[in-house]
Amino acid sequence: MNLLETTTTALLTLAIYSFLAGDNPFYKFAEHLLVGLTIGYTLVITLKSVIWPQAIIPMGRGEMPGLVPLILGCLILLRLVPRWAGWSRISLALVVGGGAGVAIPAMLKARVLDQMAATANGVTSWAGWIILIGVLATLTYFVFTRAHRGAWGTSARIGRYFMMVFFGATFAYTVMSRVALLIGRLEFLMGDWLGILRS
Amino acid sequence: MGTSRRWIFAVVGVVAVAAMIFRPGFPLSVSQETRHVFDLIDSLDSNSVVMISFDHEASSLPEVGPLGTAIVDHCFRKGIRIVGLALFSEGTAAGYELINRRASAAGKTYGTEWIYLGFRPQYTSAILGMGEDLGEVFSRDYEGHSLAESPLGSRIHNYRDIALVISVADGSMPTYWVEYAQARYNVKIAAALTAVMVTSYIPYLESHQLTGIVAGLRGAAEYEQLLSAPGAGSRGMDAQSAIHALIAVLIVAGNIQAWRKRRSQTGRGTNQ
Amino acid sequence: MRDRLAIITATLAGAFMALQYFITLPIANSAYRAILSWMQIIAAFAIVVGVFGVIRLHLERIGRKRAGWLYSVTLLAGVLVMTILGFAGGIDRGTSFQWVFDHWQAPMQSTVFSLLAFYIASAAYRGFRARSGESAILVMAAIIVMLGRVPLGEWLSPILPNVSDWILNVPALAAKRAILIGIGLGMVATSLKVIAGLERTYLGGR
Repeated sequence: MNLLETTTTALLTLAIYSFLAGDNPFYKFAEHLLVGLTIGYTLVITLKSVIWPQAIIPMGRGEMPGLVPLILGCLILLRLVPRWAGWSRISLALVVGGGAGVAIPAMLKARVLDQMAATANGVTSWAGWIILIGVLATLTYFVFTRAHRGAWGTSARIGRYFMMVFFGATFAYTVMSRVALLIGRLEFLMGDWLGILRS
Repeated sequence: MGTSRRWIFAVVGVVAVAAMIFRPGFPLSVSQETRHVFDLIDSLDSNSVVMISFDHEASSLPEVGPLGTAIVDHCFRKGIRIVGLALFSEGTAAGYELINRRASAAGKTYGTEWIYLGFRPQYTSAILGMGEDLGEVFSRDYEGHSLAESPLGSRIHNYRDIALVISVADGSMPTYWVEYAQARYNVKIAAALTAVMVTSYIPYLESHQLTGIVAGLRGAAEYEQLLSAPGAGSRGMDAQSAIHALIAVLIVAGNIQAWRKRRSQTGRGTNQ
Repeated sequence: MRDRLAIITATLAGAFMALQYFITLPIANSAYRAILSWMQIIAAFAIVVGVFGVIRLHLERIGRKRAGWLYSVTLLAGVLVMTILGFAGGIDRGTSFQWVFDHWQAPMQSTVFSLLAFYIASAAYRGFRARSGESAILVMAAIIVMLGRVPLGEWLSPILPNVSDWILNVPALAAKRAILIGIGLGMVATSLKVIAGLERTYLGGR
């Protein structure tokens, strides 16, 4: 990267970091530019990489099956016209209904049955037993149709302890992720731009 | 904005910069999870095809970029063919640039040793569709060439021709790869994740629905160590250590301060 | 009438897509593949609708000279730049479109998210309190995992990474697994309600 390239990137990076000192026009400028670029990018990628090869080209070749998705797509576009916006619901219904249909066997198998099987098969070790207790206890916590009292309440409380460990671990990993992004940006500023880092 | 907050911001910045400049160089061991993904790729035949899906936003690039780079380098080093794609629009240009850059460095030819399919929205239908017929989901690649005329593209009809799918992700996409591709078509799925997603995927790893996980900048550093090619992941580990330690200290300090404040308030309450 | 048509579409599409999992007839497979392909194209058009929605919002703001309208000009300039570059110069490697993505868009996005590193540090000091037994468990787990996952933690004590791995692979896994099973069951129930026509929020809250 040459100096001009890195300098433009560095200035935009610093404009965003200026938010640490409070909201200001430099940050607002960079923020809006970023949103604009992202919208433009998404539009180009969607039109050139999806709609053109998958909907327009087949139509151009006179392939009639290509007409159906194009009509459904145009119905979605009617959402931009308030008077006819209601027609877009038909296309939307196909996506929502189709998505719901494929989700039923997929969720049942991958999220429920396979996970339950793994829990049951794991009880050959101490860790497996702790996992089984943790899964059952956490599930009892999420049953709100029954009062959390007595043995049920104790189980729900144990489930809460398990969840606290999960939230703590997730917090630690969140820190890890955000710090990684900061390191990436600092490496750019100090290394690629200012050249003060050892390679 | 409070003064204490500004001080904390400044300390975070100074600690990170100092760690990156002075580099104490703490030793790094390779986790079982990372070694497993490495061994998995290492065990593939040189002519096999790995599908790498860039399912992330541009924002996660500093974290998933080094991960993706290490994995792509490993595949190319082994002579494995790569089919790239993206189920997040922003992953599209990021993944294309990443594979392109590494392919240039490794002297790999587009069309025969790697191809890039581009972006598909509605991940559920895209993942399921590729299990039936890849050519129906992607009739053309990202550069506009017909897939049927591409030497590598014409070799792949569905997941049966794919040895491993790797989702480079910063969100829930590997879940959908597991639920729709692994559960239905029995294809092996591995995930190269941002650290923040690790706790969400551990159950899938334990149940063997996910074949492997390599995560975060730390995962990239470990992978680079296995490849004997230190890169951005390895370089970042000192700063990562330093800021983690700082945040741990801040948590303890904040709790001590709160405890002392509570004690003094209780004391005043009792005196009154 | 339109809403009724939408509900019938959702019911038919949902029931068919669920049942085809068990049907091996070639005609069912062809219909299944066609619907999958339509769903992608509809989703792509939905993205376009979203994009034009935002553009319209900012054009209105500029037209009425609302507060911050100059920022809306910046936003639209960004849209215009990317669109022109993408359509005029292409999206392959070495194009200006890819350059703007690599040098402006991606770095700015990661910078925005990296701001959170500062705010997390601040929140850790000001709000991460062990006020009860449960919150103490949360704080302890966070500290152990945070230190156990970095080389410094390994250097401080070889026990830290082991404890951190145990936390991740046993109690945290158990809690997340229960959450997954719960969400899975919830999604199956919601999907069944969509197919039965009882869940209609996708029609716009009616």
